[in-house]
Order: sequence, then structure tokens, then C-alpha cells
Amino acid sequence: MAQVEKQPTLGDRLQSLPKWMLYLILIVVMSIPLVFMKGCKVPGKPEESTVDLFYKLMTLPEGSTVLLSSDWTNSTAGESAGQFDSLMRILMRKNIKVCIFTSADPQAPQVARDELMVLNEERKKEGDKPYEQWNDYLILGYFPNAEGTLNAIRSNVRKAFDGKKKLPPGETVPRDVFLSPVLQNIKRVEDFQMVLVITASKTSNITIERLSDKLSADGKLGMMVTGVMGPETQVYYASGQLVGLSKGLKGVFELEQMMAKGLNNPDFATAEIRSEKYKDTPIQGFPGKQNEGKGTKYYPTLHFALGLLILAVIIGNIGMAMSRRQGVEK
Amino acid sequence: MNFDLLKLICGALGTIGLYTVLYRENKFYRFFEHVFLGLAVGYTCVALWTETLYDTWWTKMVGTPADGTEPGTPGYWVWIILLPIGLMGYFVFSKKHNWMSRIPIGIILGLWSGQQIQVWWNRYGPQINGSMKPILPTATDSFTKPVTAALTPDQVAQVNAQVYPSQAISNLIFIFTLLSVLSYFLFSIDAKNKVVRFMSTSGRWLLMVGFGAIFGSTVMMRFSLLIDRLNFIWVEFLQKGILGQ
Repeated sequence: MAQVEKQPTLGDRLQSLPKWMLYLILIVVMSIPLVFMKGCKVPGKPEESTVDLFYKLMTLPEGSTVLLSSDWTNSTAGESAGQFDSLMRILMRKNIKVCIFTSADPQAPQVARDELMVLNEERKKEGDKPYEQWNDYLILGYFPNAEGTLNAIRSNVRKAFDGKKKLPPGETVPRDVFLSPVLQNIKRVEDFQMVLVITASKTSNITIERLSDKLSADGKLGMMVTGVMGPETQVYYASGQLVGLSKGLKGVFELEQMMAKGLNNPDFATAEIRSEKYKDTPIQGFPGKQNEGKGTKYYPTLHFALGLLILAVIIGNIGMAMSRRQGVEK
Repeated sequence: MNFDLLKLICGALGTIGLYTVLYRENKFYRFFEHVFLGLAVGYTCVALWTETLYDTWWTKMVGTPADGTEPGTPGYWVWIILLPIGLMGYFVFSKKHNWMSRIPIGIILGLWSGQQIQVWWNRYGPQINGSMKPILPTATDSFTKPVTAALTPDQVAQVNAQVYPSQAISNLIFIFTLLSVLSYFLFSIDAKNKVVRFMSTSGRWLLMVGFGAIFGSTVMMRFSLLIDRLNFIWVEFLQKGILGQ
């Protein structure tokens, strides 16, 4: 006896859209704001953790040195590159020296170099002096085993970076990095004005474990992590182990907004972005400079994608409800 | 064709090639997957030498000659000892000699274990301390914490020292969440008591809320990565690279 094939109902169809069609819709929906809606703005109020990070960075003394653990590569460039750009723009404009190292991935130093080249081109266009390796920054390379590396930095930063040589501008022979203006006054990890971590890996936890007791009490430890890591890193901020924290693309967007508009600027009452905590110290930001980067550019697109996701969940649930009702009626 | 455009074309082909797996498994995807893996491994091998071993091991071992005003440094051949110790790790692949791999592994484990007490306290100590929150209000003149914008620093300090009812409620929710989630993981006692059972069930629900928030963040991050690649394809490759806009 021939079996009658059951015709899929509308409810069934709503729940069984082919995967490739969903991906196609997603790509189309995400491409529209990226290509055709450039300059589209999304309103947003910065989170307290990002405000704290921005305030700390903007109040660092000019000419001081920070240690940056740049633990990201192209795989998380969608978020981490924006974090690196906004952080470096702030540090460069405040003439702060940066010592960059990584203990996460051998590719990370080159990714940082490439990004610095782009930022230096931007500085040239704005009429600023490009940041120079040796005088303004150092990229010390990859140190395998984050636990061991951070433990070494904790106990003796000079021993941890011992043997590293870089070429001073205009010279032909590499010299010890501790002779450079960046590291010449650094003897202990506490001598860095701030230690920052841009990470897409567990180096955030390892840094907390190895360095927080030396740095957190003085408010010297800050992090920029991917969205996935946001919730687990938030606890370190909530317990005071971090002075500030930027999470994912939203964190980048918030930093870029504050760089453009300032914080409590010109005063608390009339400021576009306000924070009661810092009401007596308005921060001007960098008006007239290139402040908008990947955060501002990608944030509207992210909203389109999330909107589509919510719509897909609603449609799927409607389909499920319709199928169930038809099942009960039969 | 200039080198920059060639780079962009390779990047675009690689991106599109890897995303074709979204339609179905295919040879185009397999090809770019292998290219990617080969590049990553090759680059890592070179980078390990240039970024790590050359400065921190090789030059210390062989020293550097004097050059111009830069004095030379003597080499310390004792650094060579690290090589056989490191190579012993590869004996893990040999059935006969795999005991040798336990020596470097043992050294690493010993170093790691020795740090754990301090590491644990550094990570969790401040969090335990931060969990001790007051749940009884000390000020009742306002339900929420007053706005401090127009106050002097002394007055702000006075306001900050008080616990207002809204803060007490927030703290209570925090303490309840903490205790209920902890009680969910109490497997060593039989949860027959109604209070323990209620706390345990609440803990499970609250954990689900937490996992939902984490999943939401994860989705946002994955979208961010896709946006970056789409920006590369549409803007950097097509608009700037090909069309020259």
C-alpha cells in the first residue's frame, strides 16, 4: 500500500528554513549597513567599567610608560583590532611610551606591528610625529608559557626581558632594550604607570593571578577583552582587581564615543557623556582627530545582525506554536 | 598587478573559500583550510625563532661581537643544557623512551604546583572579600542613593559611606544568588531539607540566566568577527582595492 507523504505545514516550514538560506539572509542584512549606511549612528551610554578605563588612560602622566600585553591575532580582529587601535590612539596622543609583549601567540607581535603601521600613517595625515620603535614604543616579541612569563615579570622585569635587543633609529647595531627611553627607568613591574592586557585568551586570568597583588591596589591593571570573555572578566572589575575594563565591540564603541565627545565635557551639567564619579574632572577627549574606528563603524551592523537573530527566534517559536496547535487539533 | 592588490585578492579568495563550508563541505573549502593550516604552522615555526629563541636563548649562548660603540657580550655555553631538556619532551612519542619526557614535564608541573596557593588567593581572595556586602540599610532618608553632582567632596564621602535601601536590595539579590549557586554544587549532602532544595533549584535557574548572558555575549562576538570579514570583502577589497573608490 502506497504511503501518503505528509505535506509540511506552514509551522513546519517556519522551523525548517535551510541553513544556507539563513546564512545568506544574514550576510545580506549585515552588508546593507556596512556598504550603504556609512555614518549611521547608534546611541549608547558607556558602561561604568569602560568609563573607568577611559578616565584612567586619560589621566596617565604624559611621558610615562605602560606595559601592554597584546594577546590577540587576526582571528579576533573584529573586536581586538578596534580595542588596540583606540587604546594606542589615546596613548600616542598623550605621548605615553608603550612596551608591548605577548605570551599568547607567536603571530601576535606581527599583528601589533601591522596595526601600528596603520596608526602611524593616520598620525602622519593628522600632522603628528609617527611613533618610533625604541624612542616611543618597543615590541619585545613572543614569550611562550604565559604562567612562567608573567611570574618572571612579577619577580624581576629586567630578568624577564633580559637579552632583548632592538635597533635604535639611525643606528646599525641592535641595543639592549633597557637602554631605550621606554624601559630605561623600569626596574620593577610596579614602575610601569599601568599594565594593560588586550586579550582573546586566558592570559587575562593568568595576569590577574600573577600580577594583581602588585598592581590592583594602586589601580594600575586594566583589560580589554572579547565579548565572550566579558562576563567572566567582569567579576575582576567588580571586586576591584581591575581599574577599568572594555568588553567586546560595545566597549570599543564606548571608548571611541568618549574620545570624540569627552567625559563630563565641558561640565557635568551640559556634557553629552556624563559620569557622576568623575564630575569634578572633565576630560576633553580629542576633538578634531580621527576617533571613530572599528567600534563606531561596526556597531550599527551588529544591531542589524542581532535584530535578525531576534526575528529568527520569534519566527521559529511562532512556527513551533503553530505546529503544536495543529497537532492538538488533529 | 601591484603587490597590495594581490594581497587583497588572496585575502578575499581565502575568506570566501573558508565561508563556502556554510553551504556544504567542498574541495574549495578543503583547499583553503589546508593553506591556512600550513601557513599558520610555518609562520609559527619562524616566529618562534625570530620573536623568542634568537634573543632569549641563542644570543645568550653564543654571545655577540663588539660593533661600533656597542660592546660585545660573552656567550654562556651553559644555555645549551636547555636544548636536551626541551628535546626530551618529544620522547613522549616513543614507547621505549617515553620516561624521558617525564623529566621536562615534571619540572613544569613542579613549578606550576608551587605557585598555586598564591595564584589561587590572588585570583579569588579579592572576590571573596568583595562578596561581603551589607544587606541592611543604614540610611532611610532616601530610597535610592542621592545624586552627588552638586555636593562637596566631604558630603559625597558621607553619602558613599551609607547604605541606602535600593543598594541593600541589590546586595541582598547578590548574596542570595551567591549562596543559592553555591548550594547547587553541594553534592555531598542529601538535599531533603526544603530550604536547601529551594536554594539549590534557585541556583540552577540563576545559573541558566548567567549562561544565557554569556551565550548572548558569545553570539555578539561571533557576529563582530563576521562583520570584520564582510567589511574586508565589501569595503577594503571591492570598493577600495578593485573599484578604487
